[in-house]
Amino acid sequence: MATSTLEAPRSTPRAAPPKRPRGSGAVGRFIERNGAYLFLFPAIVYLAIFTVFPLIRGLMLSFTATKLVNPAGGKPVGVENYEYLLSSDKFWTSVVTTLLYTLFTVVFSVGIGTAGALLLNTAFKGRGIIRAIATIPWAVPTVAAALIFVWIYNNEQGILNRTTSALGMGQHGWLVDPQYGLFAVTLATVWKLTPLVMLVMLSALQSVPQELREATWVDGATRFQSFLAVTLPHLMPTLRVITLLMTIWSIRRFEIIFLITGGGPLDVTNTLVVNVYRTAFQDQNLGRAAAIGALGLVLSLLVTVVYFIVEQIQERQESQR
Amino acid sequence: MTTTLIPTDLPRRRGVAAKFGSFGKAVLITLLVVFAGFPVYWMLGTSLGTESSLYGGSQPLIPEFQNIGQWGGFLSDIPIFRWLGNSFVIAAGTTILSLVLATMAAYALSRYRFHGRGVAGFIFFSTQMLPEALIIVPLYAIFAGAGLLNSHWGLVLADTAFVMPVAMFIIKSGIDKIPYEIEESARIDGCSRLRILTTIVLPLIMPSIAAAAVIAFFDGWNEFMFANTFISSSDLWPASVGLSSFLGQFYTPMNVVMFCALLFALPAIIFFLWAQRGIVSGLTAGSVKG
Repeated sequence: MATSTLEAPRSTPRAAPPKRPRGSGAVGRFIERNGAYLFLFPAIVYLAIFTVFPLIRGLMLSFTATKLVNPAGGKPVGVENYEYLLSSDKFWTSVVTTLLYTLFTVVFSVGIGTAGALLLNTAFKGRGIIRAIATIPWAVPTVAAALIFVWIYNNEQGILNRTTSALGMGQHGWLVDPQYGLFAVTLATVWKLTPLVMLVMLSALQSVPQELREATWVDGATRFQSFLAVTLPHLMPTLRVITLLMTIWSIRRFEIIFLITGGGPLDVTNTLVVNVYRTAFQDQNLGRAAAIGALGLVLSLLVTVVYFIVEQIQERQESQR
Repeated sequence: MTTTLIPTDLPRRRGVAAKFGSFGKAVLITLLVVFAGFPVYWMLGTSLGTESSLYGGSQPLIPEFQNIGQWGGFLSDIPIFRWLGNSFVIAAGTTILSLVLATMAAYALSRYRFHGRGVAGFIFFSTQMLPEALIIVPLYAIFAGAGLLNSHWGLVLADTAFVMPVAMFIIKSGIDKIPYEIEESARIDGCSRLRILTTIVLPLIMPSIAAAAVIAFFDGWNEFMFANTFISSSDLWPASVGLSSFLGQFYTPMNVVMFCALLFALPAIIFFLWAQRGIVSGLTAGSVKG
């Protein structure tokens, strides 16, 4: 499947390179000959300065005992930060929390988003308006969304507690009871992100070949059977990619968790990136924060590798069918 | 393409499915709309509530539109317009810088074959994987040395680093779709690459550029982590940081906060509804299909 690979360079229709450089003079010829690099140069240099260099600096920091008061550098301590983290319960809790948060967020947002897209793709009255309402949360700025949910979760005046007590399920400390912390941040995240999945899946649905579906109806298939035979295979590549992106984005998601629970109550929502931020700017320990960040990156990479392996296996199975 | 020769009276739904059909669908659609719409509706309702209706009793389920006059008074309590102005400057700067860098890079990756093309593409993609939290610590150290803390410039530079690669993929997929033959005749006439890019390619990829612009603007408008860390002066805060400063403070009434949140969200929502079609095609073409 051509659409399932994320890597930029793909075979695109392309004519042969121009036969003769067309520039005027030496400068023009230089530009013509090295066009690709000149066009690419600014962006690559930019990424080198603001992404690659800080990344390397961050890795170097992780081997030092740098404090926030003197961010320029602390004394080198070798792998001490890593040793500390790998033997600390708080760190491993953080890893588990990240994985749980990612799992729940991805499952619910991809599940609801895909189901919603299938629903909104059918014909009904007022579809345009309903589609707009269903996708609005994606446009709501994260900080605004966080404030709304903090108010919804409020102990005394929150609408969630009013609803649960009206339904006879009692009142709960959504933001103060460790039991509900992960639920609270996951619900808010799913609300914010499901529309994105829905938008992407809606657009994938638009390219499902209707002729094929109708052909299966002629052959006597039910809607559900033609969905399984035609629509679902057609959606799979997009579904896989959006799942991967949602996973990677969930591992690095910070704002909504930080703003709603700040990593609490009792660290139950202290995901790796929240942990990095708190270690750096609250505990003021930049060296250790950098080490947490580096281990977080390892986790992202692992997930990506697993994804690509799964994708390879699935594609092989699909091509054998 | 949708016209076919199939007779329309074919049985398409049978048995239980048919009975469930329209009613079940209506229920599901209602659930979806309530799930997505309720928090926004609640934000509006809170902003129209009075202190006694919010804290004394409980927030009414129907927004109290008769209180709309209180909105004017809220504006004098909080410098929300200054913060929104700061957000706008940061978002606009991020958009312009991202588009310039991304368009040139996208053209190179789409139209040239050269050594290191795969590596370059991978560098762009891998930024998707990088947690900002890993970068923020060294970036803070670098910015502190370069005098870029407490500056909108610093934020534009940091935000661009994360959204520019996304913009690049969106624009690249736009360029990929244009047949090369269109450029070829211009090459034969002796046009330089830069002129081809600006006069021939750019007008053709406007939808992709627009989609990338919306994504970049959203990113700059919403960004919180860098802004919260790099900007300490409240005059320079973007709205995201300004609003977050109310969290955990009990003396600011929720109706005022929600009114400010509404002012912050509304431009983004309107912009999104207006540009939705472009965003969707750009997103799917760019970040999803790469």
